[in-house]
Amino acid sequence: METVRHNKYRSPEASAFYAAGLALLGIVVVTFIISLFWTPYSPEATDAASKLLAPCLEHPFGTDNFGRDVLSRVMSASKYTIYISAAGVAIALILGTLAGIPAGYFGGYTDKGIMLLGNSIMCFPGILLALVAVAVFGASVTNVIWALGLVFAPTFARVCRVGTMEIKELDYITHARVMGVKPYRIMAMHIFPNLVPQLLPATVIGLANMTLFESGMSYLGLGVQPPDASFGKMLSDSQAYIRVAPWLVVFPALMLVFYILGLYFISEGLRVNLAKGGKR
Amino acid sequence: MDLQGKAGYFVGKLIELLVTLLLVSLLVFAAFSIIPGDTARVMLGPEASEAQVDLLRTQLGLDRPLAVRYFSWLFGILTFNPGTSYAYNMNVGELIAQRLPVTVGMSAIAMVMVILISYPLAVLSARKPGRLGDQVCSVIGHVLFAIPPYVASLLLILLASSVFSLVTVGNYVTPSDDFIGYIGCLLLPSFAIALPKIAMSFKFLRSSIIEQRASDYVRTSKSHGLSDLKILVRHVLPNSNVSSITIISIILSDILGGSLIVEQVFNLPGLGRLLLSAISRRDFPLLSGIVFYLAFITVLLYFLSDILAAITDPRIRLK
Amino acid sequence: MKNLIKSIVIASAVALTLSGFAGCSKKTGTANNNAVVGITQEPGIFDPHTVVAAGDEEIIFNVYEGLYKYDSKGDLNPCLATDVAISDDASVYTFTIREGVKFHDGSDLDAADVVYSLKRAAGLLENQDGTALVQELDPIKDVKAVDGKVEVTLESGNTELLSYFTTGIIPEGYDNCQAAPVGTGPFKFESYNPGQSVILVKNENYWQKGLPYLDKVTFKVCADMDAGLTELAAGSIDIFPYLTTDRANQLDKSKYNILSNGSNMVQIFALNNSVEPLNNLKVRQAINYAVSRKDVISVTMDGAGVELTTAMSPAMGSYYDKSLDGTFAQDVEKAKALLAEAGYENGFNITCTVPSSYLIHVNTAVELASELKAVGINMEIKQVDWATWLDKVYTNRQYETTVIALTSSYAPYDVLDRYQSASSGNFINYKNDKVDELMAKIPTIADTKEKTELYHQVLKLLTDDACSVYLQDPTTITAVSTRLEGYNVYPMYVQDMSQVKVTGN
Repeated sequence: METVRHNKYRSPEASAFYAAGLALLGIVVVTFIISLFWTPYSPEATDAASKLLAPCLEHPFGTDNFGRDVLSRVMSASKYTIYISAAGVAIALILGTLAGIPAGYFGGYTDKGIMLLGNSIMCFPGILLALVAVAVFGASVTNVIWALGLVFAPTFARVCRVGTMEIKELDYITHARVMGVKPYRIMAMHIFPNLVPQLLPATVIGLANMTLFESGMSYLGLGVQPPDASFGKMLSDSQAYIRVAPWLVVFPALMLVFYILGLYFISEGLRVNLAKGGKR
Repeated sequence: MDLQGKAGYFVGKLIELLVTLLLVSLLVFAAFSIIPGDTARVMLGPEASEAQVDLLRTQLGLDRPLAVRYFSWLFGILTFNPGTSYAYNMNVGELIAQRLPVTVGMSAIAMVMVILISYPLAVLSARKPGRLGDQVCSVIGHVLFAIPPYVASLLLILLASSVFSLVTVGNYVTPSDDFIGYIGCLLLPSFAIALPKIAMSFKFLRSSIIEQRASDYVRTSKSHGLSDLKILVRHVLPNSNVSSITIISIILSDILGGSLIVEQVFNLPGLGRLLLSAISRRDFPLLSGIVFYLAFITVLLYFLSDILAAITDPRIRLK
Repeated sequence: MKNLIKSIVIASAVALTLSGFAGCSKKTGTANNNAVVGITQEPGIFDPHTVVAAGDEEIIFNVYEGLYKYDSKGDLNPCLATDVAISDDASVYTFTIREGVKFHDGSDLDAADVVYSLKRAAGLLENQDGTALVQELDPIKDVKAVDGKVEVTLESGNTELLSYFTTGIIPEGYDNCQAAPVGTGPFKFESYNPGQSVILVKNENYWQKGLPYLDKVTFKVCADMDAGLTELAAGSIDIFPYLTTDRANQLDKSKYNILSNGSNMVQIFALNNSVEPLNNLKVRQAINYAVSRKDVISVTMDGAGVELTTAMSPAMGSYYDKSLDGTFAQDVEKAKALLAEAGYENGFNITCTVPSSYLIHVNTAVELASELKAVGINMEIKQVDWATWLDKVYTNRQYETTVIALTSSYAPYDVLDRYQSASSGNFINYKNDKVDELMAKIPTIADTKEKTELYHQVLKLLTDDACSVYLQDPTTITAVSTRLEGYNVYPMYVQDMSQVKVTGN
């Protein structure tokens, strides 16, 4: 009988992934935590006299076109980047799992109905959805997060549905069903844990995509409102300065890559561990 | 599975497709009745008088209620007439057709790049997992995945213009004018879109091939003396294909959606920019037309992948 | 086996890279006697009487001509008319029509064409409902041809109307200007490719002999300023207006001349005069003192702008009131004192709704928010898309503050019209009976000196009431390829291509 046991096995490969992932993610998270208490300068205070300064002792990451300290801005941007992507993915994950597992488990019209709705949302331009959310509830980060969550939910629902369809054919699920275990219990206790290895990469991809999507939305003025910023927004704002003030691009880009790469490595570690652990 | 069951399955899928499209168009309609903004005012700008705006509104038929406009649009679609764009005063079908070569060309080239690069690399990498080459590929893959497409676009433009002194931006030529030139100007933007997808597809294929290789039937075939290549082609790849169909369809729909930013950076007249302009100008017929069209393609892709998966994977039973 | 796969990998990678770069090295289009102008606003309307958007106007300036026409210095010159006689009470304008002018369709210009065009613009044709297409020509009561001249009768005397006779003249009975524009201008309309380009070609029969020099002008749509900049750097466009200084500085000086000129626009930090606490004069004055116009210009235009303290740009010449210069020099202490007097010693919260498509206004709002914070005002920025801005802010006036540039013409009356309490353009909800009275009086005055004096009084009242914060007249910066010469920057939204000629490659 095949079951997945979360035993304590750890492969060296996984440990390497964990170490790299935690180190990279750590940089972003620590920056974020420090920014809650202290930034070298106010991230919003403009100073026309000291605009576009190259990195120097007073401003290690330089200053932007408003004369704001880029280090302070990168620090405070980590907050919005983490907040938006994490909250958005959490919503998408919850909605997606709640819709996808029953769809895969029950099949039939439940499946058809849920997938129809999911497909319709996926075909709908996310930017338009965000615009509607903002028009109805006002321009705020929270509303954008809800819109993002809704846009990304069908992706998770798909992963869950396909995974559930495969898992429910396994012997032990059939046994459980025959023994009269309630469907919601089977879904929560047996199917969901087995979906984790498939959901993890999807989550990381979701986090990355959400970060990108969020910066894309700033073209339309949705998402983070100035003077606040996220890494993505800092990048799209500094596009024009790539030749004259590359530090405006380099630092947020690095942080963004650290963030996504860190998450990615951690999910790899988890995946490797689960895969190897499962085979024992 | 008998033939009749199969036919029923396809008919069911077809009905689903139509219902999805109807739902999507209803969503667009609902969105439009909520968001503020007036097409005529956007076209004329703030300096125009109320009377001028009213006049244009009447000319465009904007004075009719949105519900009436929706049903006349829906009726038009049923008779294969997507209506006339307010802002461009042109048939929506014509407008989309004009922009299609950019988006479709870019998606197709990007897809070819994804397959051409990720398949061989994955096969090569998976042959000796853990070797130096494999690890280098994996690390590069991870980094590529983490670079946002517009950062990649900017870097590519910088690289092409400063290092190779090549013109990469704004030289779009239509395929009917100069096909080679058309492919040429789409290569770099396609590459920018393809990069993270290559990484994604590589990673997925690699683990899938390794998994298949370790499975019993491959070991059995090996003990029967089949050559490596034969095993790869006959067993390993087809089996990894089942799930790669799903992945590829996801990648493809991602590419369609993600081309927007790249179109913006490379200044290409594609569908993404037309969509943005339709939203910002509150051009209901144009927006519905584009969304409907994109939805059609996306839904078609998903259903094709579902059907292919259903045919090839015995574990998913058809009802 | 191993080698086979390896070689496939290498071959495909190499092939891809090679083909990738080979295809892109092709340069298109800028050789020979053509020019490409980058524009960032999608054109849409080509009818000279319904066009209002600046983005359309800058193109069709080359296609249509009016009885009078502005030049790049802002002077009004006779164009399709050679002369005008205005009656003493300014209620009848009589135009002499230029001879030997041909329309793009080959027909000759005569008085009947002018009558038709002016009637159409004023909404006086039989199939029209009386609504003027060109709002400013609404005062026209009748237009008729008398002995080959055109006599325009107004409902009442109006000395301010001549500058609106710049409206385009089209052939008699012609009603298809949107799809197929026909005018008398230096260039003929060739084609419009939505989202991509508008192409104009040389008018061989142009009445000004020797002009234009170019065979073909392409107005190419760029997604935004940065996309345009990349195209400029790549050499695929020749002329690109509306740059910022820091972007223009990135261009190769040997390939591009950078021209700058006042834009005659008024960038305004608009305060909605009818909402709390902005209905309080002291609060509005405090905000005016809290703002450093110099820093706003430095941050948004890299210093390329003229500080404003009143509703008019200095480009308006004598109508501009110099005595108001420097009225609201930044004074944080004074601002705080005024706020305290108004009962807001702890400041207040306010929102600024800005159109996200205009980077300059968004950036201005960011700088303003930072400056207002110093006097205790917390300004939250809300970006909305342009359509929402027009609807919520401009039309329905549901906002507290906003930042926008008011496009102005050379007609001073046009600039100040919006401050009349009943004007549809009065989105700041300004109301001062004295201003209404003065504005009603101005069109009846024929004496220029007296008129100027009245304009000065209006400007003074606007500044005294601190009706909003006037920020700057942003400089128009245009990059022009060194292969072209003769390009003139206009202090308004037009691209005059008639004088441009190719000199190099």
